[in-house]
This record gives sequence, C-alpha cells and structure tokens, in this order.
Amino acid sequence: MTMSDQTGPAADERDNGSGAQPRPEGPRPVSAIRGRLHWLGSRYALIGVWILLAAVYEGLMPHLFLQASTAQAIFGSQSPLLFLAIAALCTFVVGEFDLSFAGVMGMSATIIPVLSGLHHVNIALACLIALAACIACGVINAFFIVVLGVSSLIVTLGTASLYLGIAELLSNQNTVSVTDNAFAQVALHNFLGLPLSFWYGVILCLGFAYLLKWTPIGRHIIFVGANREVARLAGINVNRIRAGSYIAASIVAALAGIMIIATVGGFDPTASPSYLLPALAAVFLGTAIVMPGQFNPIGTLFGIYFLETGIIGLQLLGYSGWVQDAFYGGGLVAAVSVAHLVRNRTRTA
Amino acid sequence: MPVPARLTVNSLSKTFGSARVLTDVELTVLPGEVHGLAGQNGSGKSTLIKILTGLYTPDPGASYEVDGRAMRLPVRWPDVHAAGISVVHQDLGLLDQLTVAENICVGGYPTSRLGRIDGRRRDALAARTLDRLGVTLAADAIVATLTAAERAEVAIARAMRDQNGDQDKGAGLIILDESTRALSGADLDRVHQLLRRIAADGGAALMISHSLPELIAVTDRITILRDGRLAAAGEPTAELTEQEIARLMVGTSVAAVTRRPEAPASVHRDEVTVTGLHGAHLREVSFSVAKGEVLGLTGLPGSGYEDLPYLLTGARKAAGGELRTSAGTVRLARASVAACLRAGVVLVPERRDRDGLAFDLSVADNISLPVLRGRGRPWFVSRRWQREDAETSARDLDIRPRTPSILIKELSGGNQQKVLLAKWMNTGPALLVLHEPTQAVDIGARTDILRQIQRAADSGVSVLLVSSEPEDLVATCDRVLVYGREVGLRDARATTTDELIDMIYATNAATAGSPA
Repeated sequence: MTMSDQTGPAADERDNGSGAQPRPEGPRPVSAIRGRLHWLGSRYALIGVWILLAAVYEGLMPHLFLQASTAQAIFGSQSPLLFLAIAALCTFVVGEFDLSFAGVMGMSATIIPVLSGLHHVNIALACLIALAACIACGVINAFFIVVLGVSSLIVTLGTASLYLGIAELLSNQNTVSVTDNAFAQVALHNFLGLPLSFWYGVILCLGFAYLLKWTPIGRHIIFVGANREVARLAGINVNRIRAGSYIAASIVAALAGIMIIATVGGFDPTASPSYLLPALAAVFLGTAIVMPGQFNPIGTLFGIYFLETGIIGLQLLGYSGWVQDAFYGGGLVAAVSVAHLVRNRTRTA
Repeated sequence: MPVPARLTVNSLSKTFGSARVLTDVELTVLPGEVHGLAGQNGSGKSTLIKILTGLYTPDPGASYEVDGRAMRLPVRWPDVHAAGISVVHQDLGLLDQLTVAENICVGGYPTSRLGRIDGRRRDALAARTLDRLGVTLAADAIVATLTAAERAEVAIARAMRDQNGDQDKGAGLIILDESTRALSGADLDRVHQLLRRIAADGGAALMISHSLPELIAVTDRITILRDGRLAAAGEPTAELTEQEIARLMVGTSVAAVTRRPEAPASVHRDEVTVTGLHGAHLREVSFSVAKGEVLGLTGLPGSGYEDLPYLLTGARKAAGGELRTSAGTVRLARASVAACLRAGVVLVPERRDRDGLAFDLSVADNISLPVLRGRGRPWFVSRRWQREDAETSARDLDIRPRTPSILIKELSGGNQQKVLLAKWMNTGPALLVLHEPTQAVDIGARTDILRQIQRAADSGVSVLLVSSEPEDLVATCDRVLVYGREVGLRDARATTTDELIDMIYATNAATAGSPA
C-alpha cells in the first residue's frame, strides 16, 4: 500500500528543519558531521569497497597483488570495454536504451581488418570507412526509435543481431587480423607506465563528464533524461537529442572497435555479444558512485576498473575461464541492487 | 466509556534522522462523524497518514486503538484493514477498463470453491454495497464511462465494501486522502452527501483536504497540524470560520491577498495580442493582454478553456491563430515551444510533476534550464550565476529551504510551485501564462504565489492566469474573461467571487444540455 502524495517525509523534514520557528540549537553540529559523512559515504562507498577488495587480495597473495605489473594488467587492457561502456552511457543518460552497441563495435572491429588485411586498404582509410558504417548503424537505430517511435528495446535487440550477422558475413565467420605495428603503437605506446589506450579512455570519460556538467547541450541532455516533457516545454529539441544519442553511441562504439584492432590486432566477429554484459555492468555499477542513482561517466570509469580488479585478483588466485562471466553477471546484479538501495536511502534519509 | 472511538491515536511522534516531523500528536475519530485533517504542506499530515496505514513506524511510546482495541505498533496494513479502516487515495486508484463491480470488489473477490471468481456473487456484493450507501449506479457499467462524481463514489464504495457480509452495517472508517481534489460544484456536493450518509449510518470518515470551504461544509470536527504539532485537536467545525482555520494552520493571521488597484489607462499600449486561436476542443477566441495587466480566464471544467494555455505556448498544436508580442509574431498552427519562447511567451503548467520540473534534479538546475543557452557560452556554463539566481529566487519567493542544491522532490508542493514560477520569471517573459498555479498548495504558499504574480505584472509583464479558482481570479486579476463552449469569451465584469461564479454558469447556460 503506497501513498501517492507528493509531500514525502523528506519534504516534512526540510520544512521543519528550516521552518519559521526557531529551534533550540542542540544536536546540530553532530548531525552536520554525520550528514557530511553520509554524503561522502553515499558517493564514494564503492571506492572503499575497491580498496577493501585490493587489501583482501593482497592478504591472500602477499607481495603478488599490489604490484606494478598487476596494476598494469588491470589498467592497461580494458580500454575497448571502457569505450563500449561509454557508448552505452550515451543513450542511457538521455533515458534511452541501446543493446546494439556491442554489435556496432563488432562491425567496426571486423570492417577494419577485412579492408586492411584482405583488401589492402590503407589502415586510416579503413578506420574511416568503419566509422561511417557504424554511424549508419546509429542512424538506423535513431530512425526506427525516434522517427517511427518503435520501442528502443525491441529495435536495438533486433539491430544488435542484424549488425552481428553483417559482421559475420563480411568476415566469412573467420577471425580477421591486421599486422601494422605503427597502427598498434597508436594505442599501445607507453605513456607514464600505461598504454596510450588507457589515457584515451580517461580523456573520453572526463570529456563526457565535462560536457554533461558544464555545457548547455550537456545540461539539456540531462534534462531530457530526467523528464522529457519538462525539457520539451523548455524549448529543447528533444527528438534531436534522442537521435543524437544513438548516433553518438555508434561513433563511440566504432572507436571501441578501432581500439580492439589496435591493441589486440584481430577480432572474432562472433565474440561481440560477449562484450555487452561487462559494459552494462560497468555502467550500472557507475550509478552507485559520484552521483548516486544517476548514470555518469566518472562512475562508469570506476566501474570498469573495479570489475577488472575483482577479475584479475580471482585469476591470480588460480580461477579462470568461468570467473569472468560469473563476476560480470554477479557484479551487474549487485551493482544495480546497491544503486537502488542508495537511491532509496537518499530519498528517505 | 459508552461507545469506543473508531480510531484513537495518542502520543504519536516521528523522527527522521535528526528532524522531528511529528511531536506528540493525537487524533480521535468517533463513530458517526466526518473528521477533517488539515495542515499546510510539510505540516506532517502525510507522515501521519503513512503511520496510520502502517507505511512508517512511529517513535516508541505511541498508542493506536481501533474500536477500543489496541493495535501493535507499527501497525500492519492487513490488520488495520481487517479492523475496518480503508483508504481512498488522491487518484482514486480505479481501473478504467473494468466494471463498477470489479473495481468495488478488487482485493476481495468472492470465489467459488475451486478458487474461480464468482461473478454473480461479486455483482451482488457490489450492488448491495452501492445500495447500502444510497448510490444509484449499475454494477456492470464500465468505470471509464462514468462522471468524476460517480468515479469518486465507486472508490468510496470500494472502501466501504461489506467484508463478506459479516461486517456490521455502517461500521468502518474511511480515510480520504485528498480524494475530492478533482471535484467541484455539484459533483463535490454529491460526494459530500454520500459522506454525510455514511456518517449518519454510524460509519466514520477522516478527510484530508486543502479546501477550507470543503472542510467547513462537510466535517463535524477538525484536527489541524502545524509544524508537526497539534494546532487544533478535534475542534467542532461549526464553531470555526474559514479565517480561523486558516489562522490555526499558518499560525499567524493570514492577510488576504488584496485586490490590485486599477491599472492606469495609459499602460494599454504595448500589449500581447491573440487573434483567431482555436484548437481541437477550443472554439475561436481573440483577446489581448496589456503590459502590466493580469488577465484572468476561466470557464466550466471540461468546456475546453483548459487547453488554451497549452495551445498558446506551443505545447500543443493549435488549429489556427496568431500571437503577437513586442518580440515577434507567432503563427500558432505550426509553432514550436521554442518559437513561442523566442516571442517571450512562457508557460507555468498545471502538472508541475509531469510538465513543470525535473524532480530528481536540483533547484538551481531547474531554475536555470530555460536560460542556459542564452547566458552560458556553448562550451561552458558557469555554476555561479545558476546558484546565485536560485538564491535570489528563493529569497524573493520565500522558497524553503534556501539551498540551491536541494532536489525538487525534497521540497513541499507549495515550494515546488514557487520554483516553477521562478524558473519562468527568470527568463524575463513578455507574456506569462499560468495554469492553476495554486492547485494543491497550502494557504501560505498560495498567498506568496498570487503576490508574486502581481509583482510580475507590476514589473511590466503581461500575465494570463487560467484558473478554476474564482477567489484567486477575483483577488489577483485586473480583468476576468469567461469562456463558454457556445459563446466563446465574455468579459466577466465581476468584483466578487459570487458574481464571478454566477457569470461562469450564465456564460455556459446557453450550452446545450446541463453542465456535467
């Protein structure tokens, strides 16, 4: 039994807290500190969990876990996944839903080696062609969802499979690869102990966070995600932003494909669906940090490396193969539950 | 004790974190009475109801009795419900596609031995309940086809349903949580009569309402909360006037909003003109609003005038019409919201939760939304002016608390409405269109909002106030137009609320059929 009244306990509390009647100043300072701690706790608890996780692993494997090589393994290998998670975030922040981003990434990661390796096209040109193809994928998603108004879940579930099929067709269902050392250096060149691809990911996240927080278009995006009708009545072109989000998602997914080819050198087109869940897990995990209950790029950045820390630790302990799937899946459920609880707490606390 | 009270709550307090929301509240509802519960937004009313229905746990020390039997706290809703207490929510909670009988019996369908719903017994139970309440409604009518008053009756009948026939006639307590908000005029009277009948049969009702005339008209006694404390504990309503109730709610004497002095004739120059506006439910109308004028617009509910604010601001597509302001001319048939905004026309919509504000974002974010593009650079919007604007607005409109970073959903309804007003005033509009700006806000906030509307006009804005509240219109507007479905707009020339109400009915009397 729920009550459908707008004035919740929070409203009551706020009005009383600063109401017209002066109240005896008693427990104020203490509760202010507690409030501050609660504020910190609700935003950065996940970092505490992360440190705890590292400490537990170090305890289990003394002098093995907290090493530079482990850090390199954690931070050096995940940039395609980070790009992919940001691609997912592009649609989630405007309140849309996209399941096809992994398929789009697969297209990009297939087109580049097919053109460059089999047809000897210049690698830069191959990347541009892949990017154009992926933008077309985004336009197709946007057309069906925004122009025709079909459910985004159904459209992107369908196009995810469609793009996967096209990638398999292009590659004849074979693993395709590229050997171009200069191209690999674009991603793998070492900078401050970590490959450039890591820094690209960080820059992308920071840039996206800046866009959302400090630019008019970013604020408009946030409002479209928070309440579409309010945004529309404020004169924002809501459909343009929705369509733009699908196209932006496909561009970032294309970049994720480029990162895969640059760092790994090849791609198995049938593997793209396996990238879907880890990216989603990181995005949802990100809602439990920095801005609790909201999709945000910095949170996603933490989410990716938090999950990778857990997996690398388990792998060092000797578990392998199944660990990755289990950890991503379990992590997703745990993350969404945590975010849900945090959101409820901030509502009633 | 000869007859135990239907519901007795004593020493009830509730603390959230460090904030005390209710302090030592008591409430007694007797059999055979309609009991009013009043208080401003944020007075603790909703929290009290949530404790009564078991959603919240009160602080230790409270007692809760139904018909003289003590309940264990926190109460469990099934226990309370079994003891005869039921709730009618604000939105009534009806399923439109189902029949009256199906709606009445939801949650307690009579079943056959195999567990199948027994349709005949269900319809009989519904008919018996309706009959007992003196309501004439066909049990097999589809709820979507009913009038507003009939829908309210169905919701009340559901709450007063016989519990498998073993409940005493007339027993029970019905809690109406602002359930009559959507009703007015004859519809409201009908529901009030039903409540009086329930009370006369020995039942009891606890009625939460924002409307003072309603509380006076229908309740026997009234309990008033102010800042989480009792301001009146079951005072006989007959001994109170509206003014006195208002004073108990607010704590100080409410200065009624005074009527503005007539605007000098010389201002009728720079004006906003609307010509030939018509839409799907609105016949063609033309009017103009002078600079600095508050023009009121009203009509009978459902006559179509409610569409006007949205057609005028591009929120809905008009069939035709033209809007002219000093900032430009807009053809409304193909106008977008953006085009209307460029002409300086802004809308404070009725549904602040759905159309007005993003509840999960902060006050500062919401207030700055319409001016982000104009005041920020494409690559950078400073947070400072957003915060400062929000602080200024909070001071001007007395928005509480004055924290720009607080989320909208944490504010009370009246404060949300003030934020919504501030958001659009900040854009420096030529024409401010408001739709029901005082709906479901308390008296204090209502006064603030109406005063702010007048201040906006004084600063040179043309204001169009579209409202179904005759008192607001008479108090605030320089001129009031009344819309009739057959005759279009008529100047009301009313100086009192009664005259205006008469005019609204007179303008619509020409309409074929009786006003529903």
